[in-house]
Amino acid sequence: MSQFTQGLEKVLQGDYLDIILRGIKMTLELAALSWLLAMVIALSLVVIRLTNHKVAVAAVAGYVSYHRNIPTLVQLMLWYFGISSLFPYELQMWLVDQNAEFIFAAIALGLCQAAYFSEDIRSGMRAISSGQTEAARALGFGYLRSMRYIILPQGIRNALPSLINHTILLFKNTSLAMAIGVVELTYATREVENYTFLTFQSYLVCTLVYLFFSLLLMFCGAIFAKKLNKVYAR
Amino acid sequence: MIIFSKVNKWYGEYQALVDVNAEVKKGEVVVVCGPSGSGKSTLIRTVNRLEDIQGGQILYNGHDVYGVDSNLNTLRSRVGFVFQNFNLFPHMSVLDNITLAPTKLKGLNASYVKTKALELLDMVGMSHKANAYPNQLSGGQQQRVAIARALAMEPPAMLFDEPTSALDPEMVGEVLSVMKSLAKEGMTMMCVTHEMNFAREVADKVWFMDAGRILEVAEPETFFQNPTHPRAQSFISDIRA
Ligand SMILES: Nc1ncnc2c1ncn2[C@@H]1O[C@H](COP(=O)(O)OP(=O)(O)OP(=O)(O)O)[C@@H](O)[C@H]1O
Ligand SMILES: [Mg+2]
Repeated sequence: MSQFTQGLEKVLQGDYLDIILRGIKMTLELAALSWLLAMVIALSLVVIRLTNHKVAVAAVAGYVSYHRNIPTLVQLMLWYFGISSLFPYELQMWLVDQNAEFIFAAIALGLCQAAYFSEDIRSGMRAISSGQTEAARALGFGYLRSMRYIILPQGIRNALPSLINHTILLFKNTSLAMAIGVVELTYATREVENYTFLTFQSYLVCTLVYLFFSLLLMFCGAIFAKKLNKVYAR
Repeated sequence: MIIFSKVNKWYGEYQALVDVNAEVKKGEVVVVCGPSGSGKSTLIRTVNRLEDIQGGQILYNGHDVYGVDSNLNTLRSRVGFVFQNFNLFPHMSVLDNITLAPTKLKGLNASYVKTKALELLDMVGMSHKANAYPNQLSGGQQQRVAIARALAMEPPAMLFDEPTSALDPEMVGEVLSVMKSLAKEGMTMMCVTHEMNFAREVADKVWFMDAGRILEVAEPETFFQNPTHPRAQSFISDIRA
């Protein structure tokens, strides 16, 4: 037992702690950036799809099914090794200077998650009665404004539970970015393990950190949902 | 104020409006009645283009509703429309339901809009619920708020599509009395309703519709005592029965 705690102490101090903390920071940054990207794309996809324009609907459906049916890991690789090589040389060089693996990881995760978010919001919107759109239109709100003030806020509220679940999924999926060299928490943990051979302790710390943040997200989501529900008292 | 000329509308093969010619004059209250499926909702919804027409013309306050130059959203913002199911926005307080359109669409000053909204709420007897949310209100209360919401855009005319049909009987009166006071103030109104007492007391004209046509236009007294068209006669004996 004491050997175990000594190991744990070792992992949690000095350079090793430093590596883990930097990993946590990277994980959080990656999650935040890709979440933001995903949300912006998802909202656009929803609005595009709701135009009911044939081409637009098909394009969005294609986007969603592509991203839901290809493993996220493959998409990460595709962006980092594949698509980036199609860029002009100068841009490639510039990206390398700018921490390319982080940028491509955020793009790949964001694009992928956008597919889930947009489906969440879409089904949240389906629960809204058509009378809401009619009332908005009758008051003189055009398509975009009725979306913005009347339909989307209700759709997001309805979608909140699944959005929270998928946010947690996104948070966990950031660990895949280690495959293209992003030094996030999982990558950092493996480094610490390589230096210390304290496999169990290293991954225990890692597990607890993921657990902590996932629970935190769930908790915040629950509070947010509760607040909304109080407001809309059903 | 609202002039229908030779209005024709089809839902696919089915002709829902047939050569409708009629006029709602400024300050008039018109009650549209007729059996279910006769086209009352369709007709009233063509005025703000919730339904399109395939033939004829509708003039609203001098504007050609289906004219190429008419801006649809501006037009709609000038038509007060009240739905059977209220359709209040559930994610907003009563006050926000009313102030949303004037602030976002007219760009009016927020505090001015709020003052006006509170006056309207007072008028419909709902100022004590300004901060409540729609699902905390009864149906009758929701409908009164919906009327205030439509009035907030200061429309020259108000359209009602069966405003009391979704209400429990004990709540019908409160909504009708708001409509009566509106009529008294000289508001131009077109109301689809089955409330024949309202028609008798308030309407200047009753339009009777059947199978997409306006079969009879009459003053309420005449319409209820001596309807001329046989369909109107049987309609009235049905509601008496
Ligand atoms: N979207 C639609 N598609 C096809 N047919 C429709 C549509 N809306 C209405 N109709 C048909 O048009 C006719 C007129 O309908 P409308 O809703 O105007 O009747 P109404 O007089 O308002 O009846 P109610 O008293 O039941 O409300 C009906 O026969 C109805 O079936
Ligand atoms: Mg109807």
